[in-house]
Amino acid sequence: MTRPMQMNRRGFLASATGTLALLAAAPALAAGKVLNILSHRVHQAVLGEGEGDLMAGWKTANDADLAFTTFDSNPLMDRLFREASLPETEFSLGYMVDNRPTSDIARLFEPLDGWQEKDPIADFADLAPGLIKGMTIDGKLIGIPVRTATQALFYNEDLLEQAGFTAPPATLEELVAQAQKISADKIATGMVLASDLAVFPVMFARAFGGDFLTQDFRLLPDPAAMEQALTVLAGMFADGSLPRSYATTKNDDQVTWMQQGRAAFTVLPFARAAQLNNPEQSKFPGRIKAVGFPVTGGLVGKTPMAAVVEAWAMVIPANARDKDLAWSYIRQVSSPETTLGMALNGNGAARVSTFSDPRLIEKNPLAAIEAEALANARGAFPPFPEAARAQALLLEEVQLAVMGRKTPAEAVAAISERVAPLLP
Amino acid sequence: MRAESLLVPIGKTLAVAAILVWSLFPIVFIVASSVKPGQDIFAVPPQWVFEPTLQHYATLWAQWGVFFRGLWNSLLITIGATVLAVVASTCAGYAFSRHAARWLDLSVVALIAVRLIPPIVVTLPLFPIVNRLGLADTHLVLIVLYATFFVSLGTVLMRTFIDQIPRDLDEAAAIDGASRLTILWRVIVPLAAPGILAVAVFVIVFAWNEFLFAFIFTGTNAKTAPLVISEMIGSIDGVDWGVLFAASTVQLAPVLAFVILMNRYLVAGLTAGATKG
Repeated sequence: MTRPMQMNRRGFLASATGTLALLAAAPALAAGKVLNILSHRVHQAVLGEGEGDLMAGWKTANDADLAFTTFDSNPLMDRLFREASLPETEFSLGYMVDNRPTSDIARLFEPLDGWQEKDPIADFADLAPGLIKGMTIDGKLIGIPVRTATQALFYNEDLLEQAGFTAPPATLEELVAQAQKISADKIATGMVLASDLAVFPVMFARAFGGDFLTQDFRLLPDPAAMEQALTVLAGMFADGSLPRSYATTKNDDQVTWMQQGRAAFTVLPFARAAQLNNPEQSKFPGRIKAVGFPVTGGLVGKTPMAAVVEAWAMVIPANARDKDLAWSYIRQVSSPETTLGMALNGNGAARVSTFSDPRLIEKNPLAAIEAEALANARGAFPPFPEAARAQALLLEEVQLAVMGRKTPAEAVAAISERVAPLLP
Repeated sequence: MRAESLLVPIGKTLAVAAILVWSLFPIVFIVASSVKPGQDIFAVPPQWVFEPTLQHYATLWAQWGVFFRGLWNSLLITIGATVLAVVASTCAGYAFSRHAARWLDLSVVALIAVRLIPPIVVTLPLFPIVNRLGLADTHLVLIVLYATFFVSLGTVLMRTFIDQIPRDLDEAAAIDGASRLTILWRVIVPLAAPGILAVAVFVIVFAWNEFLFAFIFTGTNAKTAPLVISEMIGSIDGVDWGVLFAASTVQLAPVLAFVILMNRYLVAGLTAGATKG
């Protein structure tokens, strides 16, 4: 009576155990020589696939395949640093954004100077020197720049024409005036900016020749410039040129507001042009254009705009299993021909010469403008352990000033007082 | 008096309507947006009338093959975790129900204490251990973790259900020569089926949607659908909202259908023992 039941139970347990064992063993069935890479999906996408696979030759030459594990930016950094802190990681290559490598983090990654000496990257000097500097920590090069995202001023040509403007603004004052008129005429909101990113107050401060934090950690090198920037932003909020929902506006809102024609101006990376003009998403395909962010009238022709640029670099974890293969990959990806191929696929190039290549100019009409902006661009602020808190404090004070809860002078004083103790 | 008697049902109706709108609006919005033309998703004023399109689903299929692999992984992991959690919870619930001892009471407290620990507290220290064991990016690690985190609640639920099954039945089976496992399998399990289903519903909903463990412990081979959806909310190249809503609808549909089908067991699970006197 009980035998059949016992058989069933055993059968059930055996089946369950077998299934679990099979599931556990599944990864072991993976292929032989594989370079495991931690990246954002976009890093993989710009390398192409199928017939357009830019790495096809490298794969054949090295008898290797690429296995990308992709995450969004912040989760990617989290995972990369955790993997690099293990005794050993199967990820021999990762992509790191340039606002992360502090001294502690840099120690987790392989110094690349020796690799460059032994087996150099072609035309290394062509890689933007500022980007190389950004990945040189404590005198050691830890990453090879591969992607840039330089901030641009996007405008909706249609809305500008409705307000009677035939050209985008050439100075910051013109930008404010155009945004005000478009708002006053109830055509659209003048400008949409996310309130939770430091990029925007930094851009406005730089338009006045100032900054938040320089690469050598000078806080508010020109406080008057930051005060002017906050005065402009507060004025735009007061007169309705910035949305009433400014305090809750996010990066994605900037895109949807522009696509829907709800705002005339915004600040986004050049690479977003394709998305803003995508006919399947945008009500103004082909009408949303970009220029470099303008400086204040008094600086035109004297001080070029230092737009904010975010750069990604390829790094090799110090605990990686196959560093030779990883360096070989880096050499190939950062070569002039692959850099151009990626740029044609929508990647912001890290090589200066790529922007002047006729093939890119033909495909991307913004290439020349982007190259000009990139020439003077730098990161929003340098990496340091308390950078996230410093950014949060900056944004808190900026929001208070923009919304009229503090005067710009009070906000600037508070930024100086609160952020200074966090600096290295 | 008559006005008062009318006010009560009207009030109830309004309250139910408000709860329904509050609960259903996000689902309706996601599903409707998945078949809206991209330009109309965030149109102001909202476009309530539109020509439905399956374009976002086509794009999802063409460009996000990894999402469907993620769905398959989610399915495997959900099934594995559910089987493991149900088996362990039923056995533990039976033991707690039919045996009394001080150490057993203490272990109940330990079970509940485990449940109170925030998952993030154990995940990060587990990361190097899982790597050392070679279990990173396997289905097994998620199956075990999901089951582990639900065994405590499942055990308490199953104990409550099994408590309601008369001990006389156990004793009658024992007199007939049944072993403990036979009693559990042949007597307890059939009668505690509603409880088992309730536990299963909880585990399924949790495992299908879980993000944190999957993010920490998987990469490619065992990557689940919620991880892929999170990637669609890209901070570098922007969000294709139509595709994101299509993926969310695909992810939502099976678990929503399952919960609706199993609704009465879920309620039974939540109210188990409520009238025990």
